[in-house]
Amino acid sequence: MISFGKRGLKIIVVGAGKVGDTLVNRLAEEGHDLVIIDKNVDRLTELANLCDCMGVIGNGASHEVLEEAGVSNADLFIAVTESDELNLLCCTIAKQFNKKLSTIARVRNPDYGKEIPYLRSKLSLEMIINPEYEAAVEAARLLYLPAAILINSFAHGAAEIVKIKIPEGSVLDGKTVAYLGSNYTNDILIVGVERGEEVTIPNGSFELKSGDIISFAATRKNCHAFLKSIGFQTNSVKSSIIIGGGKSAFYLADQLIKSGIDVKIIEKDPKRCDELAELLPKATIINGDGINEALLEETGIRDVGSVVAMTGIDEENIMLSLFARQISKGIKSVTKINKISFTDVINRLDLGSVIYPKQITAEAIITYARAKQAGIGSNVEVMYHLFDERAEAIEFKVKEPSSVTNKKLKELSLKPNTLVSCINRSGKITIPTGNDSIEVGDSVMIVTKNKGFTALTDILK
Amino acid sequence: MNIKMLIYILGKVLLLEGALMLLPIGCGSFYGEKELIVYAILAAAYMLAGFLISLKKPKNMTVFIKDGCVATALSWLVLSIAGCIPFILTGEIPSFTDAMFETASGFTTTGASILNNVEGLSHTSLLWRSLTHWIGGMGVLVFLLAVVPMTGGSNMNLMRAESPGPTVGKIVPKVRSTAKMLYYIYLAITVIEIIILYACGMPFFDSVCSAFGTAGTGGFGIKNDSFTSYAPHLQWIVAVFMLLFGANFNFYYYVTTRQGAKALKMSEVKVYLAVAAVATAIISVSIYGMYGSIEASVRHALFQVATCMTTTGFATTDFDLWPALAKFVLVALMFIGACASSTGGGIKISRFQIMFKSIKRELESYIHPRTVKKIHLDGKSVETDVERSVALYFFIYLIVFVTSMLIVALEGHDLETVFTSVTATLNNIGPGLSLVGPTRNYSFFSDLSKWVLIFDMLAGRLELIPILVFLNPFTYKGIIKKAPKIQG
Repeated sequence: MISFGKRGLKIIVVGAGKVGDTLVNRLAEEGHDLVIIDKNVDRLTELANLCDCMGVIGNGASHEVLEEAGVSNADLFIAVTESDELNLLCCTIAKQFNKKLSTIARVRNPDYGKEIPYLRSKLSLEMIINPEYEAAVEAARLLYLPAAILINSFAHGAAEIVKIKIPEGSVLDGKTVAYLGSNYTNDILIVGVERGEEVTIPNGSFELKSGDIISFAATRKNCHAFLKSIGFQTNSVKSSIIIGGGKSAFYLADQLIKSGIDVKIIEKDPKRCDELAELLPKATIINGDGINEALLEETGIRDVGSVVAMTGIDEENIMLSLFARQISKGIKSVTKINKISFTDVINRLDLGSVIYPKQITAEAIITYARAKQAGIGSNVEVMYHLFDERAEAIEFKVKEPSSVTNKKLKELSLKPNTLVSCINRSGKITIPTGNDSIEVGDSVMIVTKNKGFTALTDILK
Repeated sequence: MNIKMLIYILGKVLLLEGALMLLPIGCGSFYGEKELIVYAILAAAYMLAGFLISLKKPKNMTVFIKDGCVATALSWLVLSIAGCIPFILTGEIPSFTDAMFETASGFTTTGASILNNVEGLSHTSLLWRSLTHWIGGMGVLVFLLAVVPMTGGSNMNLMRAESPGPTVGKIVPKVRSTAKMLYYIYLAITVIEIIILYACGMPFFDSVCSAFGTAGTGGFGIKNDSFTSYAPHLQWIVAVFMLLFGANFNFYYYVTTRQGAKALKMSEVKVYLAVAAVATAIISVSIYGMYGSIEASVRHALFQVATCMTTTGFATTDFDLWPALAKFVLVALMFIGACASSTGGGIKISRFQIMFKSIKRELESYIHPRTVKKIHLDGKSVETDVERSVALYFFIYLIVFVTSMLIVALEGHDLETVFTSVTATLNNIGPGLSLVGPTRNYSFFSDLSKWVLIFDMLAGRLELIPILVFLNPFTYKGIIKKAPKIQG
């Protein structure tokens, strides 16, 4: 339990499924008071044994159950059950107890896709999350820049943290970070290096090696220029095979087609194929089991630019990506992992990019909870976890003068393993050096191995 | 098993014990007793050792239920051993076995003593003896959870291993807040008792020690005749407070947080009070002839009922001389015990409730063999798992009971002595009947019997399972790592 010296929020989570589990674990680590509502006793007991929370058995839309969970003095209410309608109902009923309660619902059915803003305002929800859609956005981003293993965007898309692996024989091999700055570009900043199990937030004298996985912050334009200068391809993929035709596959295909990428979807269920064919007239829909070598060959997996494994079964997705990378050199692969948690094992496999929808959701909600916890003065805009939760990238909005503003960065004494990686001054992105300073009105991105930052001043020792 | 975490917890326990010794030290310096030097040296030694041991926080703080049981059992052993050393060093209880018996009896809130002359003890040691009750009552690990920030959600496993009752729930979402809440309630009622007793004319030192003894439902008196010589109105007060400490603490939580409806719904508290009332009535009638006045017989009946049911073990009269019916009711109460989540011992009211409901359902299933029925307690259905563990608890209890009796019987005392000595220690009461009656003590037992009774006290306080898990060799299987075999 990390204590902030602040009171944790009282949070009620309905639904102890995949997302609920992740969410509860992470929120408990942040020190909030958690009550979980679920009908399934076994799942609740398991969860209550693993982390510091209290379980209430029952239906989250029932008045009595909500009362027992203490909804009348809760701060935040999150509904993440399997059913969209139940989630909306839970939030609506919970809101009747307590007008000040902030409610968050998971709604993922594409039927409601266009109605999200309407639902939000009419049901006065604080946030609607759609993990499938978010996963699709992340997958699409990776297909637009196939060289990257992971891309997180900041400053409303103007800046990015991009993760790449330094290949054998790369120009970066054996160079220090300072050399990189003076010879290639000053517009990017390496915010973290993974070497084996180690994660380092490097300084100028850090020497890069091939095989390292580096993350750097840059504007989108500079990022492309930098990647080109060190010999990476920066064109988006031309074609893609999506295996599995679920909700995220639909969202992804929809985006890819709009940006002119050729899409093929392989889906087992003929009924779903019909639906997809109706919704996505420009895509090629193939009815068949994706986990079938002959079918994949027939679909043209050897010639396609990218493959996205999005079936409902994680093991299948992993096998598919491994297979695709084995038979076709240079293919871009994206693997969706829903459930399994052997992160270390997954990291060691040659899978290319991996996306975790449940993590994306949890991150969005934790960002919100932190902002809420810090109160009105708060200004956490976005938060991402980097390197398997060992570091965080947080974007702060600077609203008022404080001990960090109007001082040169080199004069600030920051906590160890903390970096100011990017400053957004009215739309202009700067990758700061020691001579830059933070001013009121800026958006600042911090990368740190410390946890639980809720305000910009937390970066100081 | 997470050995680093175990060591860390034990370090913290030792640190805490050293810190607690500051209280008797303060008392010793007030009375100017030389015993305080021993306490001062030990307190310093424990705190230093505890501090050094727990200096390094283990990276992995996960505690599985197995580790929780072992940690609890070990903590209580360490607590008792470290706690008995002052008695040996001050020469007040020179034998290790006796000192260990006295301290274990203190921490487990049994209150069985081996001292022939309690009044011969220094004030310092008397206070320490009573303080062990207070800490043991709510549990030392619960105290640790309340004061030491522990990472991870698995610390519930520590609380579960130490807290009494068939199921242990949290009253607020966080373990730490729950532990704090319990101790706040506990402390508040204790302080109220001290104030009331003092205001009603009991000397301050006596008030504090009596309050500690009542709060933990322990029963160490600071006089040879326990409560007999105190004024009747003080006996009334203590009787009521004993009953208060034997009630489920969730009740007080609901009352203080103004959830009166929930408090009134707690059937365990209702049954508890009803049983106490009926027992008091039966005994009052049966002993009326001995005391002659209604006030005296009701007072003695209530006090003895409270003392046996909450497993405290004070006495206002030698109930060994009472008629057989009254004595039988008291012994029956010793087995029933107090409520779950209280400081009392015994089998606990809620276990009896669950078992009686199981029996009822079993009988009904002979009438309608296909009937499907769930047992409900306070409007919530009881899981089959809980039911099963309660049934097993009774059986394990029986085995431990019979085995202990067998060993104690080797000495050749009368059956009543053997039976009630095991009853009184396994249920954490203190005095039994016959040779271990309220005016006598346990000093005449052989060392072997004393160790068996020490085991019974610990097993009874921790509700059998943690101690059995701790002693089960399977728990430690695979802990000693063999050199890894080279795989082909």
